[in-house]
Amino acid sequence: MDQPSGDALTDPPPEELIAQIALAQDKNAFATLFDAYAPRVKFFLMRQGASPDSAEELAQEVLLTVWRKASYFSSQRGSASAWIFTIARNLRIDETRRNKRARVYAMVEEFDDVDPDTPHDLVSSKEHALRVRSAIGELPVEQQEVVRLSFVEGAPHSEIAQRLKLPLGTIKSRLRLAMRRMRKSLEDLA
Amino acid sequence: MKITHHPTDETLAAFVNATLCEGNTLVVATHLAHCPACRKAVREMSEVGGGLLDKGETTPISDGAREKCLAKLDAVPPEPTEAGTPMPEAERPMSLVSLYEDGKWQWVGPGVYRKFLDVPSLEGTRVFMLKAAPGTRLPDHRHVGTEWTCVLKGAFIHDHGRFGAGDFDEADDSVAHNPYVEEGEECICLVALNGEVEMTGWLGRLIQPLLRL
Ligand SMILES: [Zn+2]
Repeated sequence: MDQPSGDALTDPPPEELIAQIALAQDKNAFATLFDAYAPRVKFFLMRQGASPDSAEELAQEVLLTVWRKASYFSSQRGSASAWIFTIARNLRIDETRRNKRARVYAMVEEFDDVDPDTPHDLVSSKEHALRVRSAIGELPVEQQEVVRLSFVEGAPHSEIAQRLKLPLGTIKSRLRLAMRRMRKSLEDLA
Repeated sequence: MKITHHPTDETLAAFVNATLCEGNTLVVATHLAHCPACRKAVREMSEVGGGLLDKGETTPISDGAREKCLAKLDAVPPEPTEAGTPMPEAERPMSLVSLYEDGKWQWVGPGVYRKFLDVPSLEGTRVFMLKAAPGTRLPDHRHVGTEWTCVLKGAFIHDHGRFGAGDFDEADDSVAHNPYVEEGEECICLVALNGEVEMTGWLGRLIQPLLRL
């Protein structure tokens, strides 16, 4: 599973595969995305506490959502991987709690105005993804740990504090520094 | 609309990871409805999730699951994007709040009204809108726990600055001194309260039973 960081998971890149689905209901493109992402999404969901069965069920649901919503994807908003991350998160919320939070997230995403006349900009979305990935890699180990617990395991700050036996304020400031550094790496991009 | 008070980066990260309780999620989302800068921050933070997904480990999918999934595709064809007009910006914050709105405005003190929102909470978070007439002076109060506020209309002022429409106030175990509503327009806020609020000063002690915060 070791690939040079920054390389897209698929060839052609996932953004193009999603465009192929939107344009031509391309099932081969879907199969390629499935192979690349379903096992990763399943790993994430299991780290967040899902059983192997329900993680697999949910991972399939995530990929089916990619298929159904392909035409809503816009590289103006970010990379394919970031989009798939948010789909997995939204389905997890929907699954685990009977509440309206998933609806709140969906509405906030709709507020992100995308100019339909601007063509997909694969270069900038790839550049975005690349820079964030290398910024994560360059974080000090203790910040990486908090980022991983937050983003992969979906642990609340208070739980991270307990697990690492550190004050809540320390967890927050590590996360704040990590987010700042990561956002700084994107600063000169549109 | 000029927004000057934003959630912290770690709060936005918690929003991206969906680790906030539902009430706090709603207050942050209401700020996001006002604030393109924080929406951009949220998108950038989602790239961190995407990056960790890409670089992360995998768990094998069982045999046949892919074929099962492929067989379902015809039944759920990709949806065409709706060409509908986007919701006007001014309506966005209330469109979120109204997901939970179901009560009536209740009188809590001179010029002050409150409406509870029906937000389920495991942690005992209370979520409500607070409406106060222009010029209303509120008692100094101390938070034990957290109080997150997003201003929907008008403005209030306390010793940390002026909070107008869209502004986000993340108060913790500290005292808010001399809060008052700006003259000219009533102020409506969305508030998620975890824990207790303790009024200080003689006026506060007098009206605390009334406010039942
Ligand atoms: Zn903001």
